[in-house]
Amino acid sequence: MNCDIEDIQECPADSNLAGKVAVCDGCPGKDLCLSQVSQPDPDQQVIDLRLKAIKHKILVLSGKGGVGKSSVSAMLSQMLANDGKKVGLLDVDICGPSIPSLLGIADQPIVDSQWGWKPVLSSCGKIKTLSVGSLLSSGSQAVVWRGPRKTSLIRRMIKDTLWGRLDALIVDTPPGTSDEHLTIVKLLAAAKPDGAVIVTSPQKLSAGVVSREIRFCQKMKVPVLGIIENMSGFTCTCCSEVTQIFSSGAGEYLAKKYGIPFLGALPLDTRLIVAQEKGLNIEDLHPQSPVVLQMRKILREILVMVGEIAVPH
Amino acid sequence: MLLRKLTDTLLINNLKHSACNEFRNWPKRSFSAHGSGQVVSQPQKKLTARQEELMKRGLPKRTKIPNVENIIVVASGKGGVGKSTTAVNLALALSDVESQNKVGLLDMDVFGPSIPRMMNLSGSPALTKNDYMIPLTNYNIKCMSMGFLVEEKAAIVWRGPMVMSAVQRLLLRTEWGELSHLVLDLPPGTGDTQLSISQLVEVTGAVIVSTPQDIALLDARRGAEMFSKVNIPVLGMVQNMSIFTCPKCGHQEHIFGQDGVQNMATELGIDLLGDVALDPKIRQCADEGQPIIISHPKSAQAESYRSIAKNLMQNILLVNKSS
Repeated sequence: MNCDIEDIQECPADSNLAGKVAVCDGCPGKDLCLSQVSQPDPDQQVIDLRLKAIKHKILVLSGKGGVGKSSVSAMLSQMLANDGKKVGLLDVDICGPSIPSLLGIADQPIVDSQWGWKPVLSSCGKIKTLSVGSLLSSGSQAVVWRGPRKTSLIRRMIKDTLWGRLDALIVDTPPGTSDEHLTIVKLLAAAKPDGAVIVTSPQKLSAGVVSREIRFCQKMKVPVLGIIENMSGFTCTCCSEVTQIFSSGAGEYLAKKYGIPFLGALPLDTRLIVAQEKGLNIEDLHPQSPVVLQMRKILREILVMVGEIAVPH
Repeated sequence: MLLRKLTDTLLINNLKHSACNEFRNWPKRSFSAHGSGQVVSQPQKKLTARQEELMKRGLPKRTKIPNVENIIVVASGKGGVGKSTTAVNLALALSDVESQNKVGLLDMDVFGPSIPRMMNLSGSPALTKNDYMIPLTNYNIKCMSMGFLVEEKAAIVWRGPMVMSAVQRLLLRTEWGELSHLVLDLPPGTGDTQLSISQLVEVTGAVIVSTPQDIALLDARRGAEMFSKVNIPVLGMVQNMSIFTCPKCGHQEHIFGQDGVQNMATELGIDLLGDVALDPKIRQCADEGQPIIISHPKSAQAESYRSIAKNLMQNILLVNKSS
């Protein structure tokens, strides 16, 4: 007698079957789902208003942990800021916020005002950032919250923050396909995000997990702008031999399988790691390093796809 | 006016008030747990007797899984540092160094289960008469994972409460049999899964894995703090991806930094159980479903994992003696 695996993949919480299907029987949220009476949400208007002032909204997703979502988000926003664009960077990773350290603003608090929270400006480039890391009293404080609380905080991070008029808002997400992702996709839905950039590491194991994330985007109707393969190859500083430490090929394989553009492969570079640990902008420090050049190409592709740059015929 | 910082943000159940001042001024409106942005209307009827009883109860008591002696969680806080790889190789090493050890491996990563591929297992688990799932076995280790219950490429898009029930089912409704050690591979972060596990079962101790990089250590520190808040002793730390040796010229490079984990372990007063080098072979073997301890049992990396297992067993004895 085998396990019944039908219907186990969907949580019907947001549909009219909430609390009524077989899979809801073991769920602690069943009673709440059954008692739901839906009304239009007054906050949604404020959220839509704030998001309307932002031209492009790009999510950086992965599904797998530790592939470099935060690093890629930080680099993207730093390069856009270097180009003179007004950029915002929203970090919805509540349990493991990395953005304040990557941008060198780990100690700066978020200032409240009568019109809302003022996002922290990064040290180099004028990126408006918002992260739970800036709200914590110490760098090592743990935020051990369940889903509903995280959902409420993310709503607040969009609704109550003075983003102002921005050319682009980059959203850095945590690994997985859970509360944070569902919340942010729903909040941005009315404002039509430009899409998601998926980051993966080159190994087969990541491909398996990241394909779940791609299916998530397809389910939630978020357009996928492309796939970036990170940590692809390490060049020995001594003999220049390139070793594929984490293997290779997952990015192209996923791109081919799901019909998504393959944006590029970023090599492992110790200089990037050192620069980001200090919160500096790698483009300012080593503008000719392979990772910067490759990232610039990727950024150009993304800007073409969102319609910011017109491709000459 | 400066926003008051969040002070104590640990919330064990929704009934305790948070000490953080930030959320004091929130409008008194409850959102549904499956917050699609729709407002739940205030319940018109009084609380039922059952609900009153539930609210009077405190936290549920932690259960002990029958016939399982020690439960070890392998966690990190940061993603991608090698928790699954370490958990798999640690389970195999525990089984290797002491022939009397019977080891089980439970993959608690609901969204990105890696254990099926790493242990070369697939298929649906069978059920016993009592509706308990029978773990699949390979290399003499009993394994259970969310990956066995869903298709390989399916997206599992669940909110917290559903994750909680999945965790409960995987942990408590699996027929483990007699085990000396049950190794739990946790997902990254400090959220629903970690909290649910700490509230459901008596965990012997935790092993924190990290790379030497500052960014990873930040999150590993949060992981350590979380364990201290839920009273789970940290048995040690493992430094993963410590050093890379170029296969052509033998040049060694600390790609992700040097000694970061060692320094942090000393600072937090935790043992460093061991060091694992960055070796493409480990990754290759994991991808093919033949962990390095099985495919290259005499290699230096396999030896590192065995010494980590031995140090871990010593610390488990110390913790069990003192409790």
